Amino acid sequence: MAPAAGSSGALTVALLGNPNTGKSSLFSALAGIPTRVGNYPGVTVEEKVGRFAYRGRLIDLIDLPGTYSLAPKSPDEVVAVKVLLGQMPGVPAPDCVVVVADATNLERNLYLASQVLELGLPTVVALTLGDVAAEKGIRINVAELAKRLGCPVVRVVAPLREGIEALSEQILAAPGTSPPPPVGLEAQRAKVDSSHTLQAQEAIARYAWIEQVLAGVVHTSPTLTRSLNQQIDAVVTHRVWGTLVFAATMLGMFSSIFWLATPFMDLISAAVDMLADLARAWLPPGALASLLIDGVLAGVGGVVVFVPQIALLFFFIAILEGCGYLSRAAFLMDRLLVGVGLSGKSFIPLLSSFACAIPGIMAARTIENRRDRLLTIMLAPLMSCSARLPVYLLLCGAFVPNVPVGFSWLRLPALVLAAMYAVGVVVAAVVAWVLTRTLFRGPAQPFVMELPGWRWPRMEVVLERVREAAGSFLQNAGTLIIGVSVVVWALSSYPHNELSIDAEVEAQRAGWAAAVAALDAGGNPAAAAEREPLVEQLSALDTEEGMAAARRGAAQRQSFLGRAGRFIEPLVRPLGWDWRIGCAAIASFPAREVVLGTLGVIYNLGDVDAGAEEGSSALVRRLRAATWDGTNRKVFTLPVALSLMVFFALCAQCASTLVVIGRETGSWIWPLVSFTSMTLLAWLGAFATYQIGTALGW
Amino acid sequence: MTSLAKVAIGSSAKVTLVNGTDPTAARLLEMGLTPGVNVKVVGTAPLGDPLELEVRGYRLSIRRTEAARVAISR
Repeated sequence: MAPAAGSSGALTVALLGNPNTGKSSLFSALAGIPTRVGNYPGVTVEEKVGRFAYRGRLIDLIDLPGTYSLAPKSPDEVVAVKVLLGQMPGVPAPDCVVVVADATNLERNLYLASQVLELGLPTVVALTLGDVAAEKGIRINVAELAKRLGCPVVRVVAPLREGIEALSEQILAAPGTSPPPPVGLEAQRAKVDSSHTLQAQEAIARYAWIEQVLAGVVHTSPTLTRSLNQQIDAVVTHRVWGTLVFAATMLGMFSSIFWLATPFMDLISAAVDMLADLARAWLPPGALASLLIDGVLAGVGGVVVFVPQIALLFFFIAILEGCGYLSRAAFLMDRLLVGVGLSGKSFIPLLSSFACAIPGIMAARTIENRRDRLLTIMLAPLMSCSARLPVYLLLCGAFVPNVPVGFSWLRLPALVLAAMYAVGVVVAAVVAWVLTRTLFRGPAQPFVMELPGWRWPRMEVVLERVREAAGSFLQNAGTLIIGVSVVVWALSSYPHNELSIDAEVEAQRAGWAAAVAALDAGGNPAAAAEREPLVEQLSALDTEEGMAAARRGAAQRQSFLGRAGRFIEPLVRPLGWDWRIGCAAIASFPAREVVLGTLGVIYNLGDVDAGAEEGSSALVRRLRAATWDGTNRKVFTLPVALSLMVFFALCAQCASTLVVIGRETGSWIWPLVSFTSMTLLAWLGAFATYQIGTALGW
Repeated sequence: MTSLAKVAIGSSAKVTLVNGTDPTAARLLEMGLTPGVNVKVVGTAPLGDPLELEVRGYRLSIRRTEAARVAISR
C-alpha cells in the first residue's frame, strides 16, 4: 500500500477548485499517476493522493472533490472542508492549498478562492484554461491579480505542462506564509442591505468584492471564437437541431460500444481460446489443467473482455466532457429523468448500460451528487445489456411462435424481444420511484449546473481518462472477478467421482433405451417425434465425443453446483423451472450469457457455442426435447421460456457488475443490496410471468 | 413581482431576491444569482425544462422549479 499523505516529512498540498476547471489534468501534470486512490472512511467520496518530488522535497498532492463553495452542502464538500481544516482522520492538515481557478470564468471561480483566503491557509491560485481564455479574447493581468488577492497566482496550461514548474516553486515557498484577509471584503459586508437573508448578504458582499478585485484586471474583447461559441451553442441547444445532434451523438456513442467493441472482444476471446488450446497441449489432463483453463484462464478472459467497451465509452465521455457537451447532454435529458428522481447526468451512464452495465456504472463517476450516483449505479444493471441478448434471441427463436402481431411485418418474437428491454426500463423506473421515497429519501436535489464553454478536447486528457478507467477496472475489479470465476469452476467441478459418473451415464442409456422400446411396443406412429430425440441421444453415446459430453454433463449434475440446483428446485418450481434450469441459473453467476453454455453441458452437449448457428440449433433441439424427470412432460413451454427471459432481464447474475459496484461505491453493502433486491425482483417477475402465462393457457 | 421562470427566452432581467434559506437557495446565490445581478434566459431544453441562463459571464442551467424561487424585476 502506498504511504498515507503527509508521512515521512512530505509536504501535504490540497488541490481545490470548482468542477470543470481542469483540476484533474493539473493533478496529472503535477503528480502523474495517483499513488493512492480509495475512499474517505465512512463516505463514498473518492480520496485521490499523488506523491511527487520537486527539488528534492516530497510532496503529497490531495485532489479534493470539485466544489463551488466552502459552505458544505454535499458529502463531497464536507470532505473538502474537513481536509482543509485538518479535521479529516488520517489526513494531515495541508501545508498549502492550491486553488484552481478557470480563467474563462474568473468571477465565479474566485468565490471559492475568496473563502479559502479567509481561512488564512498558505494559498496559491492556479489559473487554468488560460489558452482557452485567450482564444475567447479574455486577457488577465496576473501580476495585478496576485497583488489584489494577496497570494501568488500562476498561469498554467496543464496538458502542455506550461507553468507547472512555476507552480511547483510557489508550492515549495508557500508553507508558513499566511495570506492577509481579503482586503475590502469587510467593507463590502458592511455595505450590504441588511433586509436580505444572511446567506444572501454573504453572497452579495463576496461577489461585490470579486467585482472590485477584477475591475481593470480582466479585459474582454469580442473575438471570432467567442461568436463561434455562441453559434455552436445556438445549434446544439436548439429545439430541433439540438435534439437531432444529441440523438446522432448518442446513437454514435452507443453503437460504437455495442458494435465497434465487438471485433476487439472477439480478438480477446480468440486469444484466450488459443492460450487454452496451448495449455491443453502442454499440461497433462486433470484437475490442474482444468483449474488453469476453465478457472483461471476463463476468469482472465472474462475480465479483459470488458476492457474494449470501457475504453471506448470513456474515450467518448472524455471527448464529450472535454468539449463541454457532457453537461449539455445532461441539460437536454434532464426533464426525462426528473420524473424518477434523477437528473440528466444519469442519462449517459444508463444508456451505456444497455451495452454493458460495467462501463455504465463506471461512467456514473461523472455524477457529482452522491445520492444520484448511487441511485444510477443501482439502476444500471436493470438495463438489458448485450450479454442478455443471446439468451433472449435463443429463447425467442426457439419457443415464441413466429406469428404476425397485427401487422405482417411485426412478428411475435420481435415483440417479445422488445418487451424484454422494456421490462428492465419499467422496473428501473419503479425501483427509482420507490428508492427515492425510502432508502434515498431526502429533499429534492437541485439541478444547478454550469454549462462550460465550447473548447477542443485535449487528446492527452482524453487518453489519460481512458487509461485511468481501464487501469482501475483491471487493477481493482480484475483480481476479484478472476477469484469468482475460480470459485464457480470449483463448485461445478467437485465433487468428482468417476464411478458414479459412469453409473449415471449408464442409467441414462438404460432409461432412454427403455423409453424407445416402450414407444416401439405402443406402435403409435405419432410417437415418432418423441422417439427421434431419444434415439439421437442414444446414438450420441456411441461416439467418443458424445460420450465425453455425457460424462461432463453427469459430472456437472453431480457437482456442488448440480446439488445446489436440486436443492433450490422448490424455489424455482413456481417459475416453471426444473432443477436443471435452476442449476444453469446459479452457474451463470459469473456472467449471464454463461447460462446457455451451462444448459448445453447439463443436456450432454459438452461445450456448445450458442452464438453459432450449429451450436444454437443443437441446443434448441435438446431444450425442446427436454422433459421433466420421470415423465414425458416437456420442460420448455412458452411460459417457461418467458419466465426464464424475464428472470434474466432482472437478475444480478453478473459477478463482474457486482464487483464493480463494490469498487465504485467503496462498500460491500451496495453490491449486496443490488444482488438481493434484483434476485428478488427477478424471481417475482419470472413467477408472475409463468403463472399468468399458464393461467392464460399460452 | 415576477420570477425568473417566467422570463421569455432571449430576455434579460435583474435578480431582486432568492427565496428561502435552504441549501438550494444558498447554491443559487453562490453560483452568482445574487440580488442586483443581470441574468439572461438564453434558452430551454427541448422538453421545456431546464433553463439555460447567462449570468456573470458564464452559462448556468437550472430547473424551472428553482428559477421560480428567483424573484426578478425587468
